[in-house]
Amino acid sequence: MTNESTLLATTKSEWLKFRSVRSSIMGVAVTVLLTIGLGVLITTLVRTHWSQLSPLRIATFDPVSSSLRGSLFAQFAVGVIGTLLVTSEYTSGSICTTLTAVPNRFRLIGGKCIVLFVTMLILGEFVCFAAFLIGQRIYLGVVPTASITNGAVLRSVILAGLYLALLALFAFALGLMLRQSAAAISVFVSLLLIVPIIGLFFPQNWQNDFMRFEPSTLGVSMQSPFAPSNSFGAWSATLILLAYVTGAMAIAVVLFLRRDAGSNQ
Amino acid sequence: MIKIDHLTKRYRDTLAVDDLDFEVKPGVVTGFLGPNGSGKSTTMRIILGLDHPTKGQATVNGTRYAELKAPMREVGALLDAKAVHPGRTARNHLRALATSNQIKKSRVDEVLEFVGISAVANKKVGTYSLGMSQRLGIAGALLGDPGCLLFDEPVNGLDPEGIKWIREFFRTLANEGRTVFVSSHLMSEMAVSADEIIVIGRGRFITSGSVDDLTKNAEGTVLVRASDHDKLAALVTANHGVVHDATDEGLTIAGLSSDQIGQLSFDAGITVYELTPQRASLEEVFMDLTAGAVEYGAQKGGSRA
Repeated sequence: MTNESTLLATTKSEWLKFRSVRSSIMGVAVTVLLTIGLGVLITTLVRTHWSQLSPLRIATFDPVSSSLRGSLFAQFAVGVIGTLLVTSEYTSGSICTTLTAVPNRFRLIGGKCIVLFVTMLILGEFVCFAAFLIGQRIYLGVVPTASITNGAVLRSVILAGLYLALLALFAFALGLMLRQSAAAISVFVSLLLIVPIIGLFFPQNWQNDFMRFEPSTLGVSMQSPFAPSNSFGAWSATLILLAYVTGAMAIAVVLFLRRDAGSNQ
Repeated sequence: MIKIDHLTKRYRDTLAVDDLDFEVKPGVVTGFLGPNGSGKSTTMRIILGLDHPTKGQATVNGTRYAELKAPMREVGALLDAKAVHPGRTARNHLRALATSNQIKKSRVDEVLEFVGISAVANKKVGTYSLGMSQRLGIAGALLGDPGCLLFDEPVNGLDPEGIKWIREFFRTLANEGRTVFVSSHLMSEMAVSADEIIVIGRGRFITSGSVDDLTKNAEGTVLVRASDHDKLAALVTANHGVVHDATDEGLTIAGLSSDQIGQLSFDAGITVYELTPQRASLEEVFMDLTAGAVEYGAQKGGSRA
């Protein structure tokens, strides 16, 4: 039956909606700029200051994660993209138009998530591979470099891209729960920036236990070939982040199915 | 056909819709009339599956909206014309809607042409006037060529030409055998554009019927200008009539026909200068029907204790 509204049709429609507003295009541009641009800046600084670094810094230096550091800034841009994908529908009221076209709410969220995850994964992998390769080229000759043919290195770069895609989904879930752009983005930023600061006030032994569960710490674990101290290994960190995303999404979807579509009330 | 089946909707402590039960038939324009806040929009939102009913249900062609396979091919709706992402162009907005229901792309240009906004189809919707947004909303409702159409306060923001256009448009849709359900808080608008009217107030059903039926049953008044108003007023009251309004210009009398008043005056030796039967306007009928059913009414002279 070709006339039915299907998940594929919903996904195509959401893809058209995603690429036809400027905020998505801007978000993508900022993600590219932050990951690759800051990557170039950081790796260049490391190269120019390499001779002045302490022996300890040199001994623990990781050319992989240091070239991917920009992605930890780009995570905010990706978060905004994920949030706005749903909150813009509530602020403009277009969620009602969308739901009259696709009244199956489960399918609507499915379509939106597919568009968001696929585009953010492609974007994330693209910027992380680019930042890594450019970073190693900048290090070449002065700073030790890593090769993408090494299994652990390849995993780090791939997981760095996946981290961005998963965070976009997490932000989307927050947006679906809170239905307001400002509120959802504030909560998202707080979880990534404020929570670690609160952690600093905890006693040292609690701090280590607490901080490694924090999303950006998980991100650092995911993009490091060797597990940083007091942190999870790359795969464990990925699974924990996946659990966060699944949990947040489950709550958001249950709320979405139950609540009236209405404007914010 | 739309069927509202003992529908009740409660938002926290307000009862927005209270046991509504009616049908909207195809082939006629059905007006959905009530003061602001009477539950019209809520009812429409429930029909479209946007809000969940507390009790009862609403169905379109026997199916709940959320279960329709290709909803836009069965129902077209315009709730809030401004409920469109302001950063998207009209054409992209309609294309996204068409894609979601597997409606062919060429249909987008057809509906844009039909509502007369082809020339601005590539402009961002945020730059549109309310009238243009209304036309875009109508274009969206027509995309799937549906047999059933819902419009919530569609004449808001339209210029006189647009209003004339939309009335003819409703008529055409109904003549094609479609179900056309149009809400308004303006009786005068419904009087010219609707065949059947359903009146609600405070979420409750008040009355329904054709425009003629509604005014026929309403009580008319008679305006009288005579030589002795005080004497006439006393006479009217004694004969079970009611004097609504007494000014130097004349008396407005209810409960007696102009024949009866003329005879009474003649018998009492009062000279009548003017005797005008006044048919209740639809607006008055509506005010009478919904009196007490207005959620946010202005109190008249603080007369209520």
